[in-house]
Amino acid sequence: MYREFKQIGRDLFLQGVNNSHSGNISVRLGDRIIITRRGAMLGNLNKTDLIETGLDKNDSRIVLASTEIGVHRSIYKNTSALAIVHAHPVYATALSLVEDEIIPVDSEGQYIFHKIPVIGFEYTVGSAEVARVLPDYLKEYKIVMVRGHGSFAVGQLLEEAYQWTSSLENVCKIIYLTRTMRGELKENKSQNYIKW
Amino acid sequence: MYGWKGKVLRVNLTNKKIAVETPGLNRYRRFLGGRGLGASFLWEEVGKDISPLSAENKLIFMTGSLTGTDVTASERFTVTSKSPLTGTVFDGNSGGKWGVMLKKAGYDGLIIEGKSPSPVYLVVNGQEVLIKDAGNLWGMDVMETTSSILGIEGPGYSVACIGPAGENQVKIACIVNDITRPISRGGLGAVMGSKGLKAIAVQGNMEITVADREKLGFILYETNKWIKANPITSQGLPDFGSPVLVNLINDCGLLPAYNFQESQFAHADNISGETLAEKYCIKSAGCYKCPINCLKVTKTPNDSGEGPDYETIWAFGPQCGIHDLEIIIEATYLCVRLGLDTISAGATIGCAMEMTEKGIMDAGIRFGESTKLKPLLQDIAYKKGTGGELADGARLLASRFKAEDYAVHVKGLEIPAYDPRGAKGMGLGFATSNKGGSHLSAYTIATEILGVPKMIDRLSFDGKAGLTIFHQNMTAVLDSIILCRYLALAVSTEYFARMVTAVTGEKFQSQDLYQIGERIWNLEKLYNLREGFTAEDDTLPKRLLEQPVKKGPSKGHVVELEPMLEDYYRFRGWDNNGIPYDNKLCELGLEGKLSDV
Repeated sequence: MYREFKQIGRDLFLQGVNNSHSGNISVRLGDRIIITRRGAMLGNLNKTDLIETGLDKNDSRIVLASTEIGVHRSIYKNTSALAIVHAHPVYATALSLVEDEIIPVDSEGQYIFHKIPVIGFEYTVGSAEVARVLPDYLKEYKIVMVRGHGSFAVGQLLEEAYQWTSSLENVCKIIYLTRTMRGELKENKSQNYIKW
Repeated sequence: MYGWKGKVLRVNLTNKKIAVETPGLNRYRRFLGGRGLGASFLWEEVGKDISPLSAENKLIFMTGSLTGTDVTASERFTVTSKSPLTGTVFDGNSGGKWGVMLKKAGYDGLIIEGKSPSPVYLVVNGQEVLIKDAGNLWGMDVMETTSSILGIEGPGYSVACIGPAGENQVKIACIVNDITRPISRGGLGAVMGSKGLKAIAVQGNMEITVADREKLGFILYETNKWIKANPITSQGLPDFGSPVLVNLINDCGLLPAYNFQESQFAHADNISGETLAEKYCIKSAGCYKCPINCLKVTKTPNDSGEGPDYETIWAFGPQCGIHDLEIIIEATYLCVRLGLDTISAGATIGCAMEMTEKGIMDAGIRFGESTKLKPLLQDIAYKKGTGGELADGARLLASRFKAEDYAVHVKGLEIPAYDPRGAKGMGLGFATSNKGGSHLSAYTIATEILGVPKMIDRLSFDGKAGLTIFHQNMTAVLDSIILCRYLALAVSTEYFARMVTAVTGEKFQSQDLYQIGERIWNLEKLYNLREGFTAEDDTLPKRLLEQPVKKGPSKGHVVELEPMLEDYYRFRGWDNNGIPYDNKLCELGLEGKLSDV
């Protein structure tokens, strides 16, 4: 378990979807959660950075758990997810500030996501409101953007949730690049996914 | 003035003289309030060799710059005096209504001096200050005293009082305000008892004006965002209170057990925050306008009350080899009623238990004998039998039997709840604390165990001098403005500077606060130097320096105090004997004070 956390935490950092201390990742093991420690550096995780606590009930370990523990718990309790990756992808976060949903213009993005919802909240960090609202979206979508904050991706495996995070950032880079080029898209299928 | 009232009340119990003084803005700017102002008054007014239990000692109650404002967790006040337990400068602080009432009565502080020939209590409100006969109250416990005074003066008052332990000048007696809030350590209750002062009832309804209410509102909005986001303040403390630490500290191998002979307790789960919440907690409560709600209202089949907190669970639990949580809870209730410091009481009993098991004395109680705990606490408060021997704390108890190594203390104050062999910063913090073995002088556990602001290697001594100094200085600030230190687990020091600026209208940046903290720390140090304390007192019990932890995650570790202390003195701008250099004192505006030492 530690090796998987360490590898994926490192990859998230190296890809640039997390800064030195941002993001958190977790897995569900029955009625327990293993989540990264509050303030841990995902790019350089130690064994002591993995915190086990309850899915429903708090215990003493809660004081070490990631700030987003409440959102992770809520997602696990209300979806079939067994792994979650929360990251701060730069292009996706920038796009979330100007869009209500992100619709890929590239082929892979359209195949994988169709579209990615963007949801705005008053409180975005460790927020009870995010914890309440997000699971409903994650029943329908693999990954969701919290406006101006970051992504929450779910999967059966940690690697799966990592893939959605990584792909989302690529989708957003491509949108950004095509917009900065100011040329008209020769083929734009993104309109097909508005009602997805 | 904004935030501060600008007035300090002085009551002399010998000649019944009552006066009001105005410390002046410069003094407030230099010391902020609370512990800082308290230390500054004590330095000037309680000179060398004054006996802590004599009429010449003073008992200084101070509110903080933020007390009574809308700032979260700011309803606190401090009490400063020369401690009868340690002989050092000593301060403690407490929440509840008392501090807010004092400020709303128009006073930032109250200095008690002299000694009344017969028991009295004090009534302070916005209109008058009265010294009243307390003959009928003398002998009552804290709950009875508070109820009686509220019955006489009216329910709008807030009462701080002593119980039988304070009356009997037990050196580990505390002062309790609002029935359940103790200013626990250092024997300040004995100082109050020595003055014949049973209680102080305060009431006020004056407005506490704030310089920039709009800006303060925004700072508090941002503060509350972090309180809600951080799992320590939004989940761990609200769900379990400070006992959330029991299992955590035990898992890390620094929960001292059996008078620090061991660093883990096999029965930790029986006495944990989880067990307390599940079996005994009936509701959570909090200080005024504080969303953290860390106080646990508890109930046993026989009694109900508040607490215990983590350090108290340790004192009556692992320290005494007791794992019956019901007994621990009821011992806590009893101590509050008797006006007895739970930490020193448990620590001293644990010391007596070990000495009994080793054949050094016969205290009539051994590790794990839980049914004997409450009767012994009662005896300590009344100085009866063995209790009388324990009433002066662990240091004097052990020294009477020439068994000094069994008392786990610094400068006479018993070390609580955190084995510094498993968190080296705490070791340096205990050793250098101006008031002895207090965990609150520099709570490096925040960094070493809880990762605030970042996790560091708790078992390394490298870098701990700088960390300890930072905690000491900033804690002196928190104790002066006065904020609950749990808030510092959620927000950074920059927030505190903005709060003080918005409330007082005086510009403070975090560096200014840090320097004020350093000033307070150095002034307290000078006070102790004047009293004759030396570098030899900045040490730890042999047990922690020489005996490695036998098992668990901290196995093989001792506290490497010497290299840490060397760095500490150097980083502080002190010489090898722990005496501040002149240039450091000049930098802090304390020039010339060394010549008084």
